[in-house]
Amino acid sequence: MVNLEDLKNEAHKLLKEGTVKYIIGYERGTNGLLPIPAFIKNPEDVERLIWDPTCVFNLTRFLVDEKRRKASEKEPDERPVGVIVKGCDSRALVVLLQEKFINRDDVYILGVSCEEAGVLDEKKLAKTLKGKKAKNIEFTKNDNFVVMTEDGKTEISAKEILAERCLECKANFPVIYDILLGEKVKRKSDKPFGSLEKFESLSKEERWTFWKEQLDKCIRCYACRSVCPMCYCDECVADTINFAVTADTTAEEKAQKIKWAEKSPVTSENFVYHLVRAIHLAGRCIDCGECERVCPLDIPLRLLNKKLEKEAKELFDYEVGFDPDQPSLVSSFKDEDPEDFIR
Amino acid sequence: MAEEFEPKIVAFLCKWCSSAGSDLAGVSRMEYPPNVVPITVMCSGSVSPLYIFSAFKRGADGVLVSGCHPGDCHYIKGNFYARRRIALVKKLLDYIGLEPQRFQMSWVSAAEGKKYTQIIKDFVQELKPLGPQTKLRSNS
Repeated sequence: MVNLEDLKNEAHKLLKEGTVKYIIGYERGTNGLLPIPAFIKNPEDVERLIWDPTCVFNLTRFLVDEKRRKASEKEPDERPVGVIVKGCDSRALVVLLQEKFINRDDVYILGVSCEEAGVLDEKKLAKTLKGKKAKNIEFTKNDNFVVMTEDGKTEISAKEILAERCLECKANFPVIYDILLGEKVKRKSDKPFGSLEKFESLSKEERWTFWKEQLDKCIRCYACRSVCPMCYCDECVADTINFAVTADTTAEEKAQKIKWAEKSPVTSENFVYHLVRAIHLAGRCIDCGECERVCPLDIPLRLLNKKLEKEAKELFDYEVGFDPDQPSLVSSFKDEDPEDFIR
Repeated sequence: MAEEFEPKIVAFLCKWCSSAGSDLAGVSRMEYPPNVVPITVMCSGSVSPLYIFSAFKRGADGVLVSGCHPGDCHYIKGNFYARRRIALVKKLLDYIGLEPQRFQMSWVSAAEGKKYTQIIKDFVQELKPLGPQTKLRSNS
């Protein structure tokens, strides 16, 4: 078990000694049990920090923002930023380090292990509790969650309320850290790509019907892109708004700026956007499930990214997020890569 | 009787091998179907997946990416990168339910005009029974 007091003590020490600029963690929000990200600057404020299975967010996204902020400051504070990471978040951090987007010296990693549990899926929980509000959630040793509601305690099997990705997690402990809290134990998962199985057994036409129905819903709010720690490009190919046409814009400039996808949320444009996002995340997506969580229309985006993760494993024996020195999937090759599809 | 469906193929050919191969087919007066729109790119490794999705969006019935044989790349290893990337795109397109025949990759050297014509002939033959590609095509 991660001892919350230990976490607070470590955070307190780091802030008091001035090792870190500030610490990004979780604190209790105003909407029931759901936490919000906390940015702790003063040592006294560490009391606000929490860590439990409701801490679903991937906080590494804020490191991307931090880098931008630092770049615009005249006299930046060179001290590292402390960040609390779970297993999946730590893998996101590995990818950011692998791509040299952030430096190892700029971040102080407080790893917390999910141990045998994981994080909750709010939607699953709301469904299981049938409208009741949870007041407290604890994980017990026999793979159950004890949920306190206004009606008293109920015990729910972990499988029912854990996020889908946690059931398929490859390592629910941080793979990179400065301080580790909790033990490096792995939750048993026999099917790393279990959620794909049902889907892959469908026929081609059924798959098309499924994806057309799902992606037609997309309103192109780009929440998936905003929340993704890997979507850090300054300018996205899906955007045409970054290109302002003024009276001074020459015809040549207009001609050189290609519109790859229109902003209108219609099938063909949505497909271009989501397919290209999936390809850009191939070998980079660490399955933190944030895109799917934030999607206001519940599009199962994880299924797209998970599929490419599976193909990377099967075709190229590539596993993402464990080694910051490994070359990335699409910028490396092996002589024996499959080419049976090539004429 | 209705006119027979003629598929439209967008072919991304690398400048150093496949383009020269298609040129050879041309200057040698080899006959092959006129369904293909060749686009010369500097290297098969420079073909972004976005080009492919975009081609389908703009109404291509089939897309072909063609480069030098492994080891013959003008940029030494561009086609190895292409091979990896295209494999992923092919899996992804298949996964969302597009007919896998619609997207092909080939190695064509500058001397293989004959092979190029054969690839286009086969491709057209495979696309004809599938009919027009409407899944990813933009309606506007």
